[in-house]
Amino acid sequence: MKTAVIALNTFREAIRDKLLLVLVIFGFLLMASSKIIKPLAVGEEAKIIKDLGLASIALIMTLIAILVGGRLVYKEIDKRTIYIILSKPIYRFQLLLGKYLGLMFVIFLSIVIMTGGYYVVLYFTQTQANLHLLLSVLLTYFQVSIITGLAIFFSTFVTPIASSIFTFFIYFIGHLTRDLKALAAISKSPIVKIVAEFFYYLLPNLSNFNIKGPLVHDVLINYSIIYWAILYSLLYTGALLFLASLIFRQKEF
Amino acid sequence: MPLYVKKKLTRVPITIAIIIGWLLTIWTLQKTIDKTRRRPLRELLVEEMMYFPSGNFLHPTVIEFENIFADLVWLRAIQYYGHHLMTDKKFEWLGHIFEILTNLDQRFINAYHFGAITLAWDAREVEEAIRLLRKGMADNLLDWQLPFDVGFINFVLKDDYSTAGYYFKIAGKLPNSWFITQRWAAYAYGKAKKFETARQLWIDIYNSTDNKKLQELTLKNLRKLQLDEDLNNLQMALDHFFRDNRIYPKTIIELVNRGYIKNIPKEPFGGRYVIRGDKIQTTTSPKVIFQLEFSPSLIQ
Repeated sequence: MKTAVIALNTFREAIRDKLLLVLVIFGFLLMASSKIIKPLAVGEEAKIIKDLGLASIALIMTLIAILVGGRLVYKEIDKRTIYIILSKPIYRFQLLLGKYLGLMFVIFLSIVIMTGGYYVVLYFTQTQANLHLLLSVLLTYFQVSIITGLAIFFSTFVTPIASSIFTFFIYFIGHLTRDLKALAAISKSPIVKIVAEFFYYLLPNLSNFNIKGPLVHDVLINYSIIYWAILYSLLYTGALLFLASLIFRQKEF
Repeated sequence: MPLYVKKKLTRVPITIAIIIGWLLTIWTLQKTIDKTRRRPLRELLVEEMMYFPSGNFLHPTVIEFENIFADLVWLRAIQYYGHHLMTDKKFEWLGHIFEILTNLDQRFINAYHFGAITLAWDAREVEEAIRLLRKGMADNLLDWQLPFDVGFINFVLKDDYSTAGYYFKIAGKLPNSWFITQRWAAYAYGKAKKFETARQLWIDIYNSTDNKKLQELTLKNLRKLQLDEDLNNLQMALDHFFRDNRIYPKTIIELVNRGYIKNIPKEPFGGRYVIRGDKIQTTTSPKVIFQLEFSPSLIQ
């Protein structure tokens, strides 16, 4: 219940944030620009419109998670409202979880609005609107869940700017972890092998959530990928929030 | 009117005038910069392509947005191709662009298809085109278009009918392939003088359909194949005869009498095989054979 109250409050706060509005409008403009690109595409209009829509949703949601998520906890500390909240009978973990759930609800709403806009663009450009594309949006949501977890984790011990930078780096590296695996495979040094393997499993493997390519090309995918990716996201985010609460508990207010 | 309102009102037009003045200055300045830096579009495009990083490098840097980056490269490729097609017809960076494009999006079938066709026909880079298609085949094992294109390039540009037949045959076995692909395979094998394979393919086509028209067409092509095989065998026997005797026989029966062939095969179109100089020919009108060879059967 206490978590729900904090989540609701975070949701209200984030909705009022102009940054969110700007990002969503920017996302819509990006998707709508496919109408301009259409005549230049020479037979690949449908592909470009689908790609642009999915990329816009992923980009905007990631930016919301990084930029809004990084400020969530810091804002409470900066405005001293943290003292009021923590003076109530509430666990610090509940505060973090509430913040996380509130932001995830904002992201959910933004994703629903943007996906609606995406299908409107598909409809008006007479592009075959395949419902399979929603699976990519679903996995984008669970990818963003990890990114939000990371942003909250960092925001418990660094400033919002630093938190956003760190989260962005992990997001970037998270899409390249397969290269770590490749490095481990080709390296002759056992230390490099161990270190590369260790980071391969430690860092979030965000390429697990990227199924945009096969879906746009109507390539059949193994549906178990989706279940495993969702489970991975839940476990990883849970671990991040747990670690964040451990750090947050050490803080003295 | 109070004085502060008057002051405010006089400030508004001054502010607007300053903004307009600033915009005009910036506009003029940018025009001047553009004029001094003006270079031909071709030069700009070539320069841009030179610094375009390889797809292998670009792929990890664009993280999860590889498809949308591939689309941007596709738009650039179309512009590059269109510009050079209308001007100097030089396509030196075309292979590089499609290499990047297909490294970013390995499933972009039209990029392989369009890239290979333009590379082969416009840039005259036949081997580069085939390499691009084979790369695409490795990443898209079930797509019929790419092996078909390899076959087509081998057939039309390299006159390598045997390889063409091989790739047409592969394309024909893949899901949703163009229904005439098997016919192309049979036809190419026939041209490559691999008569047995070609015959088997035509028979397969015959057995796989209930369409009377297609069956009729298949039988015609089997007859044409028989004609080609007979002409080929008889020509070999004639050449053999000449090598042994330093003279050509007057009639075809001499080839039988001297043991170069067992018997004279029956000409499948109702004509006869005859020797004309150093060549074996048929008495069937070339028009009949020509009509069959260039009939729409291969494309309909």
